[in-house]
Amino acid sequence: MSAAHDWRHVAALASLPGITPRRLHRLLSVGDAATTWMRIRAGEQVTRDVDPALWSLWRRIGDDHVRRTAECLHEHRVRVTWRGHPDHPAALLADHAAPPVLFMRGDPRAFSRRRVGIVGTRAATHNGRFFARRLGAELALNGVSVVSGLARGIDIESHTGVLDVDGAPPIAVVASGLDVVYPAEHARSWSLVGERGVLVSESPLGTPAESRRFPMRNRIIAGLSEVLVVVESRARGGSMITVREAEKRAVTVMAVPGPPATPPCEGTNALLVDGCAPVTCVDDVLAVLGIDHSRAWAAPDHRTVPVGDDALLLASMGRIPCTIDELALLSGRDVLDVAVALGRLEQMEWVAHSSGWWEALSA
Amino acid sequence: MYAAIRSASLTGTIGTPLVVEAHVGNGIPGFTVVGLPDEGCRESRDRVRAAMLSCGLEWPNRRITVNLVGAGERRGGAGLDLAIAVGVLVATEQVEQHQVDPFAFVAELGLDGALRPAPGMAPLVACIADRPIVVGESALVESSLARPGALKPVGTLGELVAVLRGDLPWPDIDVPTVEIVRDRVADMAEVRGQSLARFALEVAAAGAHHMLMIGPPGAGKSMLAKRLPGILPRLDPDDAFEVAMVRSAAGLAVDGRVATSPPFRAPHHSISVNGMVGGGTTGIRPGELSLASRGVLFLDEMGEFAPTVLDALRQPIEDGVVRVARAHASVEMPARCLLVAATNPCPCGNGGRRGCACSPSAKQRYLRRFSGPILDRFDIRVSLTPPTAGDLTSSERGESSAHVADRVATARSVAVSRQGCLNSAIAADALDEVAPLTDDAMSVLRARLETGQLTGRGYHRVRRVARTIADLCGEPGPLDARRVEAALALRTRIDNGEPDPR
Repeated sequence: MSAAHDWRHVAALASLPGITPRRLHRLLSVGDAATTWMRIRAGEQVTRDVDPALWSLWRRIGDDHVRRTAECLHEHRVRVTWRGHPDHPAALLADHAAPPVLFMRGDPRAFSRRRVGIVGTRAATHNGRFFARRLGAELALNGVSVVSGLARGIDIESHTGVLDVDGAPPIAVVASGLDVVYPAEHARSWSLVGERGVLVSESPLGTPAESRRFPMRNRIIAGLSEVLVVVESRARGGSMITVREAEKRAVTVMAVPGPPATPPCEGTNALLVDGCAPVTCVDDVLAVLGIDHSRAWAAPDHRTVPVGDDALLLASMGRIPCTIDELALLSGRDVLDVAVALGRLEQMEWVAHSSGWWEALSA
Repeated sequence: MYAAIRSASLTGTIGTPLVVEAHVGNGIPGFTVVGLPDEGCRESRDRVRAAMLSCGLEWPNRRITVNLVGAGERRGGAGLDLAIAVGVLVATEQVEQHQVDPFAFVAELGLDGALRPAPGMAPLVACIADRPIVVGESALVESSLARPGALKPVGTLGELVAVLRGDLPWPDIDVPTVEIVRDRVADMAEVRGQSLARFALEVAAAGAHHMLMIGPPGAGKSMLAKRLPGILPRLDPDDAFEVAMVRSAAGLAVDGRVATSPPFRAPHHSISVNGMVGGGTTGIRPGELSLASRGVLFLDEMGEFAPTVLDALRQPIEDGVVRVARAHASVEMPARCLLVAATNPCPCGNGGRRGCACSPSAKQRYLRRFSGPILDRFDIRVSLTPPTAGDLTSSERGESSAHVADRVATARSVAVSRQGCLNSAIAADALDEVAPLTDDAMSVLRARLETGQLTGRGYHRVRRVARTIADLCGEPGPLDARRVEAALALRTRIDNGEPDPR
């Protein structure tokens, strides 16, 4: 089964056009990768489930492909692992739909830590983002690696939180090739995760971020997590795919409660109704992991504490967004005063706004 | 045989005097107009012929050549009809040259021989300084905006010929005097709630800062914008005449009353670049930008405007003039307007408590329609939320426009006496002198600059707006932190690309 593969040939097989995880799994099962490669080159149809046209296409790919794939991986500091490889994550060995091959950059020792997945919607609320960032930081401080997907919204916030503190290494599972940064604005976090933790993808280098690859990526996130925390999700969001994959693998799913009748929280609130354990702070997650949370590290809050009227205004705000006019009425102050105070509080990261609606950021 | 007649043609918003030559000689009967006539002028051949025949004048069955002297530029316009007709009459010796020499002729001809107003009567008449101008009776009101003492109104071509021959006296028609009127503008008192946006509007008016309103449908964006002319200073007579001239040049109805309220133009978002900045296939006409000069140009649903239209606004808004260059002509037209734009925060227009149904990428795509350079032109960006039920049902009226206008006028005069221009026009290197910052104010701005919430350009803009706020409050000294923070509160962040949070 786990033959002593040559990494160059594994990478070459994984980078063939028209390859799927299932086909790759079969190809790697029939013998060592170098021999399989020779047999394909000789025109032999090594396994049964591949179309003859594809065999002849693969046969015509020169041996140069092996060398170029290897050089490319070397250049991008990306290594390839497979079932049986010492660096392959042990959590995926028993997985029924495990990726046969992983491309990774960074330190694979992160896989042997305690791991919690944090996923959620890309269209998150300010409070959702804030919570994800704080949870990521506190889990990292308590020695738990955060597994996430570096997507917009909750994903990027959770890893930003991890990278903000000096804690457990982050694990990022992405859908595209490791050299194709998607979304492009996350390039900095992308490279930092590769330096401080490990960046993983099932796709060979150069693979574009196609929409069909994201649900496949989600199954790896589910497979690598011991506990999956959903911070915010719509009722039919991509995070719910991760939740289903987690349930298939008996991974504990936890959800963060959100205000009712808020679309980005409908999915998570429904999970809670279905009996998921709620996450209100890092202790809830640590308890499920069986980690002693009595002396849990809280992420330091380096926000400047507001004083005077600003503090009163902040205290009068809830997590429900409100308008400046409402706040002025509530506090009995001049609208411009309130706007100025909100500007100060926003600068100190105590409040956030989107198109005229202001909400307090509470942990 | 030969005649030379004085008239005028229109380019952009300016009339140019022009001599029309006519020659009638032997040859194959025909009628040609040379000297780069435009499309409208070529049509005048048929109008002139029909008008002459209708008035019982003799139409020569000979070769007629009309030349628009000074063939360098393409021009024309229906206003040359009368000059061409008179030219033919002189060249066929139905009228003597010396009888027409003391006059210039500007009118379009109807097929029945009536003298009609041509587009741009006011600037056409204004450019002829040295002699009386014969115009149509129906064009009298519009023409009287310029040189009312020099007009010779006549009803028809037949009547004109009789007058020129000396058979009839000049008709006794009173030239109306132009009235300058204070017209009514929608009042700010009718706006419920929206205190922050009201304040933003006041600052925009006082400093001539361009303003962008972001808010869902029904928040009152258009309502507020329409009230901006009411809090701007009234136009002085010269400016009011300039506005009327541009309107006349654009072929819009002009009556004998010149309004002193600043113009308010709200073009629909399907407008073309030519419609916005000026241009067109038959001569260059002023666009909405020039029509809004000395007033307000309101772009509702700014995201729906073609990107080329928005980008075409950039240079004129900065310079106060729009230069339209074509192969055959190049003109400058006024574009000294206050730009007010409104947009929804996202395609669905909701957000806030009801929740926005747009995906983040759809939202960003929507906001990315405004190029960075055009967003940069707005000193003030303010978010609006719909008024609450309490605001709508309360009988309390807001502050009236008259009060706000007083404060605006005071702040404007303070600014002009201090630096010779309104605050939005303060040069960046003059800011330290006219808008110095206290140490507190400096540290507020430095913090924003360091976190990247403020760009270099934004830094200058915030200082200008803060200067205006201080002027409105009657504080001549250095800008303190309060004023700077207020200016920052009027500069909502536009989240049109989610940067890496790190």
